[in-house]
Amino acid sequence: MDAPLGAWFAREILIHEAALVRYLHRHWSKRDEIHDLRQEIYVRIYEAAAKSKPTSPKSFLFVTARNLMADRVRRNRIVSIESVGDIGDLNVLVDEVSPERRLDARQELKRLARAFDQLPPKCRDVVWLRRVDEISQKEVATRLGISERTVESHVLKGMKLLADMFLSGHTLKEIAELSRDDKTEFAKGKSGRGKQQTD
Amino acid sequence: MESSRQIEDRAAAWLAKRDSGQWSEDDERELQAWLSAATAHTVAFIRLETVWGEARRLKALGAGVPRGVVPPPNRWHSSSALERRDEPAPLRSRLSLRSWPTRAVAAGLVLAVATALTWYVASSRFYYRTPVGGLASVPMSDGSNVTLNTDSAIRLVVNDRIRGVELERGEAFFEVAKDAHRPFVVTAGNKRVIAVGTKFSVRRAGDDVQVLVTEGKVRLEDDSLAAAAREIAGTAEPATSAAQSGVDQTSHPSAVRAGDGGMLLIAGAVAHAGESGVLVQNVPLMEVDDHLTWRSGYLTFRETPLADAITEFNRYNERQIVIEDPAVAGIRISGKFRSTRFEAFVRLLEQGFPIRAQYGDGRILLDDAHDSGGREATSK
Repeated sequence: MDAPLGAWFAREILIHEAALVRYLHRHWSKRDEIHDLRQEIYVRIYEAAAKSKPTSPKSFLFVTARNLMADRVRRNRIVSIESVGDIGDLNVLVDEVSPERRLDARQELKRLARAFDQLPPKCRDVVWLRRVDEISQKEVATRLGISERTVESHVLKGMKLLADMFLSGHTLKEIAELSRDDKTEFAKGKSGRGKQQTD
Repeated sequence: MESSRQIEDRAAAWLAKRDSGQWSEDDERELQAWLSAATAHTVAFIRLETVWGEARRLKALGAGVPRGVVPPPNRWHSSSALERRDEPAPLRSRLSLRSWPTRAVAAGLVLAVATALTWYVASSRFYYRTPVGGLASVPMSDGSNVTLNTDSAIRLVVNDRIRGVELERGEAFFEVAKDAHRPFVVTAGNKRVIAVGTKFSVRRAGDDVQVLVTEGKVRLEDDSLAAAAREIAGTAEPATSAAQSGVDQTSHPSAVRAGDGGMLLIAGAVAHAGESGVLVQNVPLMEVDDHLTWRSGYLTFRETPLADAITEFNRYNERQIVIEDPAVAGIRISGKFRSTRFEAFVRLLEQGFPIRAQYGDGRILLDDAHDSGGREATSK
C-alpha cells in the first residue's frame, strides 16, 4: 500500500464522502447498492490517482460518480424509471453538491464527538477504552467482564459505525435502515428499489 | 464475488487485529497481500484506518477524565473541552487509577441481563485514589460527580439498582444526579450515607466520619448503632416512616432520627459520627462552604486555632508542620490559603505572628519567636 497515496486519498477524497453519499442517494434509487457504488467510485479514483493525481480531486470524484452511475444504467437492462430520469440531472455543479468542508479542528472534533456519542453504549465504552485510552484488548475484556472476542467485535462495529457517521454523515438510525435494506434485498435475491431517501 | 460490505468487514478485522497488540511479521505480510489483492481492499482499509486514527483525537475531549473511565455521552458539546480553552486544565491529572479486578459475578450478570444499564455493573468497578496534595474529579456514568480531596481513595460500584461509592479513606464531595430508582450510597467503614439527589461531602478517618450537607438531604446510617437499636426495639422500623414523623425535629432542625440507626441530615448539617455516637451541628450554609473550599484547592479558616489549621494543612502535604510551643498552638487565624502551598502559609505566619519556623528534615517546626529571642512581630 502506497502510504502517501493513502494520505492523499483520505485528505482529498474521503473528506467529501458525506456529499458524495448524498449525491448518490439523490440519483440512485436503489439504496442497497449505494455502499457498493461508493466503493467502486473509490476504487476508480484510487487507481487513476496511482497513475496521476487529478488536479481537482473533488470535481474528479463527482465526475467519476456520475460516470459510474451512467455506466451502470447502460449495463443493466432493467432500470427503474426514476434512475433513467435522474441521469439527465447528473450534470450538477460540483460546488453545489459539495460545499467545501472548511471546518476548523474544533468543529471537526465536535462532529467526531457527535458520531462517537451515537455509538451503542457498549460499543462506545469499548471504543473509548481501546482507542482513546489505549488499554489492551485483554484488560478491557477483564474490566468489562466480557470476552476478548466480544471486545474485538465491538471494535469492528465501532470502526464501521464511526466511518459511516463521521465520513458519510449518517445518523445511527439511517445506518440501521440502510443495512436492513441491504439484508432484505439480499434475502429477496433481487435488487428492488429502496424507499425515497430522506435528505 | 465479495460484496463491498464483506470487504469492509474484512478491512475492519485486519485493522482491529493490527491494533490488538498481537501482530507478527507474518500478519503484516498477510495484510499486505490482502491489500494488494484488490484496490477495493485498499480503499476500504484506508477509509476505516482514517476514521480510526481520527477517533484517537477524542482524547482532547477526555481532558480531566481519568484513564479507564468513559465520559458520559452528550456532556461535552457545551463543555469547556470543546469551547475555547482559556483556563489551564484543572488539577485533575493528579489522579492514579487502578483497575478493580472484575469478579466472575460481574461477567455473569452481563451475560444474564442484556439491558444497557446493567452494562455498568461491569464497567464501573473502578478504584480511584489521590496522592497527598492531590485533587481529582471523577465523573460517574449516571451524571453524578465525585471530587476527591487529598490522600483519598474510593471505589465505585454502579449498576441498575444502586450507585455505590466506598470511601476507603480521605474525603470526597458528591454531586448526586437525581435518580429515584437508584439510591446513591456512600459507605465509609460501618457508616452509610444515602442520598437521592443532593450535594454533600464525606470525610473519613478510620471509623470517624464527618458528613457535610450543602443541598438536599441525606440519610446517615451507622451499622453499630443499628445493631444496638435492633437489640432494644426487637425489630427495626422502616427508616422513612420514622423520618416522616419528624421526631426530634425541633431540637435538631437539621437532623431527624430516622430509626434503624439512621439519621436524616438536611442542608447545613455537619455530622460527626464516631464510636460514641453522632453529633450533629446545624451551621449556616456559608460556613459549610468554608469546609468545602478544598475543592478549588483552598483551605478556609475563620478564627481557627492554629493547631487545627496545621492539622488541616498536614493532610495536603508530605512535609509536616509541627508546633513546638503550646502558646503558638492557641493563636487563632482567619483566611483562605492554598492547601499545597504550605511554605507560603508558614511565611505568612512568620510575618503576622511572633512565630519562628525552622525547616528540618521532612518537617517544619513552629516556635515562639520571643522565647528564642527572635525578631519582633506584631501579635494579633
